[in-house]
Amino acid sequence: MSILSLRGLRKNFGATEIIRGVNLGIEAGEKHAIIGPNGAGKSTLFHLISGKYAPSAGAIEFKGQSLANLPPHRINRLGIARSFQVTNIFPRLSVFENIRCALLWPSGYRYSFWRPIEREAKLNGETEQVLEKIGLAGRAKIPAGEIAYSEQRALELGMAIAGGAELILLDEPVAGMSHSEADNAVDLIRRVTEGKTLVMVEHDMNIVFELADRISVLVYGEVIASGAPAEIRANAQVREAYLGEALSDA
Amino acid sequence: MKTLAAKWGLWGGYLAVLLLLPQVFDSILAISIFNQMAIAIVFALSYNMLLGQGGMLSFGHAVYFGLGGFLAVHVLRLMEFETVYFSIALIPLIGGLTGLFAGIFVGSFSTRKAGTVFAMISLGIGELVAASSLIFTGFFGGEAGVSGDRTFGPPLFGMDFFSDVDVYYLAAFWVFVSTLFMYLFTRTPAGRMANAVRDNPERAEFIGYSARWVRFISFCASGMFAGVAGGLFALNYEFLTDENLNLVTSGRVLLMAYIGGLGFFIGPIIGAIVLTLMNFLLSNYTELFLLYLGILFALTVLFLPRGFAGFIMMHQIAWLRGRLHSLALPYLLTGLPALLFILSAVCLLELSHANEPVLHFLGLSLARDSALSWIGLVLGAGLGALLTAKSTPRLRRAWEAANAPNSEAGQEAAP
Repeated sequence: MSILSLRGLRKNFGATEIIRGVNLGIEAGEKHAIIGPNGAGKSTLFHLISGKYAPSAGAIEFKGQSLANLPPHRINRLGIARSFQVTNIFPRLSVFENIRCALLWPSGYRYSFWRPIEREAKLNGETEQVLEKIGLAGRAKIPAGEIAYSEQRALELGMAIAGGAELILLDEPVAGMSHSEADNAVDLIRRVTEGKTLVMVEHDMNIVFELADRISVLVYGEVIASGAPAEIRANAQVREAYLGEALSDA
Repeated sequence: MKTLAAKWGLWGGYLAVLLLLPQVFDSILAISIFNQMAIAIVFALSYNMLLGQGGMLSFGHAVYFGLGGFLAVHVLRLMEFETVYFSIALIPLIGGLTGLFAGIFVGSFSTRKAGTVFAMISLGIGELVAASSLIFTGFFGGEAGVSGDRTFGPPLFGMDFFSDVDVYYLAAFWVFVSTLFMYLFTRTPAGRMANAVRDNPERAEFIGYSARWVRFISFCASGMFAGVAGGLFALNYEFLTDENLNLVTSGRVLLMAYIGGLGFFIGPIIGAIVLTLMNFLLSNYTELFLLYLGILFALTVLFLPRGFAGFIMMHQIAWLRGRLHSLALPYLLTGLPALLFILSAVCLLELSHANEPVLHFLGLSLARDSALSWIGLVLGAGLGALLTAKSTPRLRRAWEAANAPNSEAGQEAAP
């Protein structure tokens, strides 16, 4: 059974229809990439799944449960975490605190205003482990707004995976990185999403083919192809709509 | 361990200062100022829970202060007429509970959004309650206000609350407890998330937190402590009017917290102390106090956006690198002309406001009708401004040098 399924999903802003009937099933444990030209609606799709936008029509189900009308924090609590295309962190909090905040709800702290947080050894230990994993242990005390861009991207990723969500949505995780930074990021993504379901939007085809075991191609709000990387590479329609252009760019 | 000891030392020192102040300065006047400071500290700290910690700009925080105060005064009245038997020591708690319930009610709809929406709702509620206070005269006493008497309660540790010193010790207790709890709140999951939501409410949603609930919790806590401050006010003055919950009071607490420094826990304490002192010192000497307060606020916003506390903390890096002393001379060279400018400008303002033909101010005798005093002051201000401007580049260079990354200092520290 699919862990995430989208059925007849539509989203319009006024008269403009961005997502035009998407049907997609994501299997548990799969690494799924969504590619497509600019303006195809990839980020919008993520916003719909994670609850930032409400669908105009259609259904989204996570482990058989409908996500309709759920606010983002409820969707997150079900086990869906995401990162953002534009770095979206808590700039004035330290790197350590950014990760610790991401761990709070999954660790069951809820809105506790009576437990001194520094005494929660397990929570603080787990925070350090995540920092270790994403290579930011040395930057723990610095305000997150002041670290380097690629470090912020790693932090962004760390916040998405910290809570142990089953389904991770990554929106262009390596956008704006240099080649070597991107290579590191790919390693990092592979390590931290092990055993989890990953759905990512990415422009860089090398990274997509390296990480994904299934690819869906979104063009003007519709999935025109979905399959293994080799199939997608060979698909004439995809080449015409998107890949040819992207490959000739590269 | 070292930081833990430092923390205990800090809180112990705070308590000691609170307890020793009336021993060192024991005049009636000093005690009355300390009582005002105590009230202002709790009120300003509660405001900082909203704006500094939670990112909610409120123009109506006096509502919780005032409602808490009014309820407290009514309880005092009930005690006076022996309708209820209650301890004077717990009067601030009455204020706190009132503030909490008012916070729960208003927060239930106002914390949905931060930013402009929140600010406008707070302004609306502030106006609404202030207007109501003049309409529902049974509870608020109209323009005359409501007065009580704090001396009818059972004595506490031998204190009967006839004198302000008794009130001071009670207030000091509540200030200490409130400060401690407001600080501890910032170190809990709800308090940390308040900062997170202030920084980025959207992201908070995607890590499982409802930004609205996080704001709501801070809002209620903030209302409660504002109410405690209101209760202290009721005890100290035994008298409340509509002014205690209108926009003037809301504006004043915003100024205190902002001038003190919003981003720092200690900022509002500094702001409360400085403004209370200023209020006392200046309002005896000049009618232009509010004008100076406004100028101070504008200058703080422009030049010290993180307030006095931020200004002090700015020097941390230079201090850690052992270069703080290198700033002393440049500060002096800029500070003295700046002082000349400020004093000349103040004299000009006072002179244009003066009612008598000769103004005695700062040891000077300035004749209003003499061109000489005007020219002298304008020259003084001009010279001050010119020298200040001339010396700023030097100060800036010294500042950059003092804060520069450690190349030489690193070598110094190595052996």
